[in-house]
Amino acid sequence: MDCNWQTNFFILSKNFYQPMSTVHKGLTITVTLDEEKIPYVNGLLFEYRKDLSIYQEKYHKSLPSTFFISWLTLPAQTYAGKEKLPARIILMSSYVGSKSSHIQELATFLGPQIKQVLSQSREYPKNDLDKPGLVSFLKRKSIPNTFYSGFKFISTTEVDKEKKLKAEVWKYAQGLADQGDPSSPKEVKEKIENFVKNHPQLVWASKKIPYGLSNKVHMLWPLALFGLVMLTSLVSIVLCFFIDPLVIKILACILPLFILVVVFLFLLLRLNENISHEPSPELSDEKVREIVALETNPVINEMTVIAPLKRGWIRRVFLALTLKLVGLVSYFAYIPTVHTARWLQMDKGKRLVFIANFDNLSEAYAHDFVDSERRSMNMAVIFSHAFGFPATRWLVHKQYNHRSNYMKGVRAHQKVTQFWYTCQQDLSVENLKRNRAFRAGLYKEMDDPEIKDWLLTL
Amino acid sequence: MTTLEKDDIQGLLIRGHGNLSSASYLLYTFTDPAKARVFLQEIVPKVTTASEKPEEQALQIALTYEGLAFLKLPPALLNSFCREFKEGMTELQRQFILGDTGENAPQNWTWGEKNIHLMLMVFGKDLEKLESTLSQIKILTASFQVELLHTLPTGMLHARKEHFGFRDDISRPIIRELLKEVPGDTAGTFPAGEFIMGYKNLYDEYAPSPTVPEALDKEGELPHHPDDATLKDLGKNGTYLVFRQMEQKVHAFWQYMQAQSSDKASAIALASKMVGRWPDGSPLTLCPNQPDPNLSEANDFGFWKEDKAGLKCPIGSHIRRTNPRDHLVTENTQKDSTEMAAKHRMIRKGRPYGPPVTPELKPEDMLDSIEDDRERGLHFICMVTDIRRQFEFVQNNWVNFHKFGGLENDADPIIGNHYQHESRKTNEFSIPKYPVRRKLDHLPNFTIIKGGAYFFFPGIRALQYMANHD
Ligand code: HEM
Repeated sequence: MDCNWQTNFFILSKNFYQPMSTVHKGLTITVTLDEEKIPYVNGLLFEYRKDLSIYQEKYHKSLPSTFFISWLTLPAQTYAGKEKLPARIILMSSYVGSKSSHIQELATFLGPQIKQVLSQSREYPKNDLDKPGLVSFLKRKSIPNTFYSGFKFISTTEVDKEKKLKAEVWKYAQGLADQGDPSSPKEVKEKIENFVKNHPQLVWASKKIPYGLSNKVHMLWPLALFGLVMLTSLVSIVLCFFIDPLVIKILACILPLFILVVVFLFLLLRLNENISHEPSPELSDEKVREIVALETNPVINEMTVIAPLKRGWIRRVFLALTLKLVGLVSYFAYIPTVHTARWLQMDKGKRLVFIANFDNLSEAYAHDFVDSERRSMNMAVIFSHAFGFPATRWLVHKQYNHRSNYMKGVRAHQKVTQFWYTCQQDLSVENLKRNRAFRAGLYKEMDDPEIKDWLLTL
Repeated sequence: MTTLEKDDIQGLLIRGHGNLSSASYLLYTFTDPAKARVFLQEIVPKVTTASEKPEEQALQIALTYEGLAFLKLPPALLNSFCREFKEGMTELQRQFILGDTGENAPQNWTWGEKNIHLMLMVFGKDLEKLESTLSQIKILTASFQVELLHTLPTGMLHARKEHFGFRDDISRPIIRELLKEVPGDTAGTFPAGEFIMGYKNLYDEYAPSPTVPEALDKEGELPHHPDDATLKDLGKNGTYLVFRQMEQKVHAFWQYMQAQSSDKASAIALASKMVGRWPDGSPLTLCPNQPDPNLSEANDFGFWKEDKAGLKCPIGSHIRRTNPRDHLVTENTQKDSTEMAAKHRMIRKGRPYGPPVTPELKPEDMLDSIEDDRERGLHFICMVTDIRRQFEFVQNNWVNFHKFGGLENDADPIIGNHYQHESRKTNEFSIPKYPVRRKLDHLPNFTIIKGGAYFFFPGIRALQYMANHD
């Protein structure tokens, strides 16, 4: 890569970066690509991947809102046995804060690379774009996704700071233990808190964690709104028996209508499930080797699975509705060992895209989905719509060979992610959560057993 | 309940031949495919099956992928084996998964080379019986130019201990189909398909198994594959056998414990924290403060209720990593943890090798022992129907992953590959305690891999098919 780009661009310093919230989100940008250009674009992306290993620090400094970037080409795929879905370039990032500043950040730091790659698409304007032009192009080409984060409300800067905080406090507490300090839990906690308060590099941790309430509101208001509408509808149904205004009647229709639509969709889905199951062809050993060869990071790795949907419009509609509902409850979702994940549909809902950034290797990670009864049901809610994935009855009931078909489906549709960036390479989700739990416990009122539990996060 | 075809299953799969205290594992290479097949025809009738209870001697047989390929078995058959078996333990990706790097890298092994085709596992009730069986085998192999590459002798130790002085072979998965009565509560028992091909596994599916297109089984020797009538099931009643020769640095082990402790008792307690059981076998979860001889075979315990935080048995201890039972730190419920952990079990069949440091392997004595230059260790053997899901998963995700269970820089203290470089540090061991966890650092490697391979451990009919294949 041309090294001048580094000097040409204003580098956002982490210290000045102030997100307006610490909610994690996913940005997905995609454009179509002529198939013959795939090798060229792949070449570029692999080049950037190489640069990344040299300029990791620079990326880290210049992308303060970014946790992960997966950037890949997607070959053409066939939908319903006949329709060709176009090849694409897909750029997916996991970020914290506002979408607008995140896109600005990408355009500022990765502008030349983004332009070089996206200009291979016919969708890219004929004349070169300046930065505002690029930003608005990226905004136009971004599509919604259902996003999950396993370490909610932690900013990239906090990741480093909380790690250091815990390491320093552990050393201090170790010193106390070595001296045979017989303090009670309360006294130990107080000593630690005083240590933090009086330590110039750690004093920041004596302040409250920012955006606590606003983050929750940010994530939960759509669900609250949905619940409110449904509740209002329910109340309106009751009111209908006593009063007669039109608004009440309209409101009273919403809940029954919603239930009716869901039931109707379920019935149609059940009919669709009778179409005989077509399993995915098994991926060749060579192809699997090509994919796993990129999974060499010591802690976090990435997986992209993109599959056309099973035939039938009901699959597309059902999945779209499901993804919306999953999005509503994502605050409460829990997927072990996943840093961030997203699901989305593209090409008029005919493709399901799934990416995850997770701890350790994809082989281990895929097991998280099939090894527990409950979780394999949850997964079926989304993946049973994708071609080659196991057949189900009533969406979640497994059919024969569910597990092996699931594993085959994942591998058969797993794509090589040519470019992958992670802002930190050292901490697992559990590490991140513990570091946060330690910080969150500082200066918090606790009884002795709670303090003992809290000390275990050290 | 399904009945196991014991006549077709090799004996070692369901019993350890513990009464046959002498054993030797012999690694061979074939030199001529036709002769190798005749050799198999000769030796197969001598193989001990699961329906026998040998009192004098036993013989078991296992082949590597290279061995099967050397026999010129049909490509469709060869290709139907799982990828990890085909690639072999020393292939680059497998090395990465298994953590066989640095000191443990295959280039430092004494065996594991690609021309190993066959392993004969010979057991005798005593040394004399073993020797006489070995000399018969020698004559047979010589006449078919089956060349011996390595002999791996074994030696049982006092009170079923391993070389560090801990009681071994306590926790074993029980195959449901071997029980006289179907247990009402299936917890703790496993469907045969987890360990024997041709039967259903924990997912209620037939375990993945190598197959032969029907047309290639002209004599009709093999059973049909339960999922595909056009295929014959070569795997039925067989399994994969994982072999790792692990040298144990006994002196270094106890020296390390001593250096970290004020007295012998705390050195032994520390080593026990690393294992998860006291030297006599009693589990820390049930008796955290001192061993309890009444519990030395205890295996009916969990971690979720008794010890979630690892204050008794550290999360990173050997037994808690290799079988987290009902508590995976990353899971929210005991049920999910139990279901997940159960999918990654293995039947262990290893035997120690080399002379013990002291005859009775008492840690108190071993702490005083003087280092010698004799090699000793464990021939770790496990049997699984899915190498990747069972053995490799445990080795990779639980034993060597330094972030296991929310830990930071800890690989398995006993068998993990311990090192430190720019992007990874794996040589810590942390013991949760009040007021702050104790972290031990700079753990050396207490075990070193000296050799290893993936084998197919076929059923008798499959062996006959291979022997008769033209
Ligand atoms: C020299 C190497 C090894 C030594 C000294 C060793 C030692 C031990 C000891 C003392 C026990 C406790 C006894 C028992 O529960 O049966 C044990 C259990 C166990 N080990 Fe190892 N082991 C070694 C290698 C391995 C390897 C390579 C694996 C697999 C990757 C493994 C997997 C297990 C399992 C699954 C258990 C049973 C855990 C349970 O169910 O509680 N071991 N080992």
